[in-house]
Amino acid sequence: MMHSDIKSRPVYQPLVPDLAGGRHLLVVEGETLAAGRLEELAGVFAPVQARLHTWLAGAAAPLGGLGKLWQLESAADVVDALACASRGYGVGDRLYVQGTEPFLWSVATAAAVIGFGEKQVQLYHAGSLRRRVWCTHCHGMTEGVTTSIVACGGCGRHLLVRDHFSRRLGAFMGVMVDAEAPGEIPAIEEVFA
Amino acid sequence: MTGETLKLKVAALADIAPGLRHVRLVAADGGKLPPAAAGAHVQLALAGAARTYRNAYSLVSRPGARDAWEIIVRRVPTSRGGSAYIHECLQVGEVLEAGWPGNLFAPVRTARRQLMIAGGIGITPFLSYLAEFAFSGVEHALHVCCRESEQQVFDPWLAGRPGVSWYWDADGHRLDIPALLAAQPAGTHLYLCGPAAMNEEVLAAAAAAGWPDTHVHCEHFGSALSGGEAFRAFLARSGVEVEVGEDESLLDAIERAGVNAPCLCRGGACGVCATPLLEGEAEHRDHFLSAEERAAGLLIMPCVSRARAGRLVLDL
Repeated sequence: MMHSDIKSRPVYQPLVPDLAGGRHLLVVEGETLAAGRLEELAGVFAPVQARLHTWLAGAAAPLGGLGKLWQLESAADVVDALACASRGYGVGDRLYVQGTEPFLWSVATAAAVIGFGEKQVQLYHAGSLRRRVWCTHCHGMTEGVTTSIVACGGCGRHLLVRDHFSRRLGAFMGVMVDAEAPGEIPAIEEVFA
Repeated sequence: MTGETLKLKVAALADIAPGLRHVRLVAADGGKLPPAAAGAHVQLALAGAARTYRNAYSLVSRPGARDAWEIIVRRVPTSRGGSAYIHECLQVGEVLEAGWPGNLFAPVRTARRQLMIAGGIGITPFLSYLAEFAFSGVEHALHVCCRESEQQVFDPWLAGRPGVSWYWDADGHRLDIPALLAAQPAGTHLYLCGPAAMNEEVLAAAAAAGWPDTHVHCEHFGSALSGGEAFRAFLARSGVEVEVGEDESLLDAIERAGVNAPCLCRGGACGVCATPLLEGEAEHRDHFLSAEERAAGLLIMPCVSRARAGRLVLDL
């Protein structure tokens, strides 16, 4: 994770089961699983294993200890499954998510839609630093951004990727980098690999 | 109507049940009242025989109403004087001084479902909630714990409203609070207003069921909280020493001495009256200061809190 002076930049913490919670849902983006991480999670979540469901997106689960295990293909499937579970979760339940930032916020915003409050959700960033970028000019989203400047997938403007973050959109702000001097694009660096 | 206080005229009085009086208030100058939203309260100055009492009452009138405000007042056996005055002395046509409406108990309008639990006269803030929720269409339920005989009392405000359930103290009629709280979908917000024992029971049950505290909202009754042993307080900036009687609050005594102290709810909830405590140990009875702030001993809420022992010195 990158730290920043920008106040809207989220700060992530390790996942710790909240024993006050009723049922617990752990959602993990498979590509962010370093060797031994699943075993580590199984240990951390052992106290709530009887009330735990784990959704693994894009990875196979070789071990037990993670409650009732479900395998999903992608973040989009996680979002769909949460939407379908609209009435299935209670105000005492807890959600834990591990993944890249676009994954974390796809899940967090989908959970907010079905009523999860901020204090019911824990987010832990792992893996790539790639960003979802929201264009302040055309309001289009550009996914998988790893560079300091990116061509907007919506309008094509060259956007400077900022640390300003929107929890509502689950995306970083991108502003036109050559608005004052058209065509003058600073060097593009790979900074969010 | 502008200015620091409002002048309200009593337009109608009605005893709607033993110990329950309904009061309809209009602007004394015949104009419009400021609008108040669901959950709002108004503070009335009631001139008792010995002194002036200032009590806050929930508005039960329709949210936004500007022609009249309505309150329902229960006669408290150990009354500080305010409810006794309203039940025994208040007359139609009388003009009362009142504060502007405040709201420390507004519903969370982003909630997916609104769950309300009332104990007795604690139903009053929810009468305005129900009017709002009926209008907005948000899913809601009100659970009222009261005497069996009091169910019909609130019919004029509840008539035809769905989602109201009644409970009283008899086998088969008690509210199963843990079962109710365990069955609520994500996105539910809980509001409770009732006697301290009921509030504590519901708060404990909510915590045990894993409710985040951001989703639990409690309005406490303030009136019975403020009395206790008499003590003295010195107001350092004013150079005044006040004697706080057994049946009055520190705030009452400060006001009686003619010292201006800001306040809003008079029930230890809003934090407006928080006053620096220079010397002495406070017995904290409010719901505003955190455990850390209480331990630090630098602030006191004079509307409900008192001296633990000896004399207090306030920066006032």
